[in-house]
Amino acid sequence: MNAPTVHDDTWLMLPWLVNGQLAGAERARAEEHVGGCAECARELAAQRRLAALLTSPERVSYAPGPSLRKLLDRIDGDPPEARPASPAPPAAAAVGASWRPPGLAWAATFLVATGLGLLLATTYRWSHPAYSTYTSPARPGSAVLHIALDRALPLGQVEEVLRHAGARIVEGPDGSGVLGVAPVATGGSAPVRLQELAGRLAADPRVRWIEPLPAAAPPRPGP
Amino acid sequence: MAEPTYRGAALVAREVDLIGRIAAGDRRAFEELYHLYHRRLARFLTRLTRRYDIAEEVINDTFYVVWRKAGAFRGESQPSTWILGIAYRKARSAFRSSARLPQENLDAAPEPLTHETPASTEELRDWLGQALAQLPLEQRMAVELCYELGYSCEEIAAIMNCPVNTVKTRLFHARGKLQRLLPQLARPHSGGDGSPRP
Repeated sequence: MNAPTVHDDTWLMLPWLVNGQLAGAERARAEEHVGGCAECARELAAQRRLAALLTSPERVSYAPGPSLRKLLDRIDGDPPEARPASPAPPAAAAVGASWRPPGLAWAATFLVATGLGLLLATTYRWSHPAYSTYTSPARPGSAVLHIALDRALPLGQVEEVLRHAGARIVEGPDGSGVLGVAPVATGGSAPVRLQELAGRLAADPRVRWIEPLPAAAPPRPGP
Repeated sequence: MAEPTYRGAALVAREVDLIGRIAAGDRRAFEELYHLYHRRLARFLTRLTRRYDIAEEVINDTFYVVWRKAGAFRGESQPSTWILGIAYRKARSAFRSSARLPQENLDAAPEPLTHETPASTEELRDWLGQALAQLPLEQRMAVELCYELGYSCEEIAAIMNCPVNTVKTRLFHARGKLQRLLPQLARPHSGGDGSPRP
């Protein structure tokens, strides 16, 4: 049986054994202890389940656009309600144009109405963020495939996975570790199609999740 | 320290460059950094606050500070540690100054949320959200930073501005409470190979 301090130290460090941050001698010591301690082994398994739950890809993709616009307005010191609406100039022109020929007044009124319509449409769109999900099939014609790799994978292995599949990173990784990849030409040959790329990546066990594509090529289920 | 993973290594240089450009007033760099962090922070803060609107508020408060203080970033920590540290302080303020959130009953001994076996991983994930909500904020933060975002003990200590041993203690207590609240976590999922399904 191990000395209590080794057990206690290992027990405290299990979270970082799980998330891959424990390295070198500390990792070796912890793994050696866990190998011979049923209590720590059970706890490690439970913590791995906890981590898997917390890191599994979300179905909802957040739309940051409206929030960013609010923040930029705040930075400019110009909150939306205090800002002149974009169609304001035509409105002002319409008010002051009562003496002008009727044709011009009608044109101004038309501009005001159009401007207000656009403003309302924009406001409605901003208040209804367009949510999309990674598990929804990719848009037809999309040239990017979203994937998630094992989070603890060293950089060298990530490069190897992508090189082997004939892919390059074009987006991300985002907060969930999801990468956008696109096919590249390998060895002088033409780039593979997205379906084929998905198939190649699905064959690699280090790839934990692949975005569903509209046609066949069923990706591996999520991690 | 573990070997840098793609998640860490690929982003640090890019983020340091973005922060430098933000310090010079580059609006485009600011927008890029915002997009880079939004999803990570939204998921993390929504789980922390259980309110997306408050999470959005905290994200914007955080990036307002980033915009104003980018020039003070000296690279002594990683950009993500700096930004998460700001987010942590903003989230804590939002929690403590607001009566909008349900208050945790910190004194009550935790009882299991349920003795049932989850029908799906989705259900288990939902129960986990409820269990996390019953932890004190600092413990919840430590859990999210460690298991979800994958930070080292030292990084979490820097983000939460506390000693390393405090981080270990917070996680120790958090794990104990989670096990009492959700004993199902200690058992492999009945529907799969031992690891939760998506």
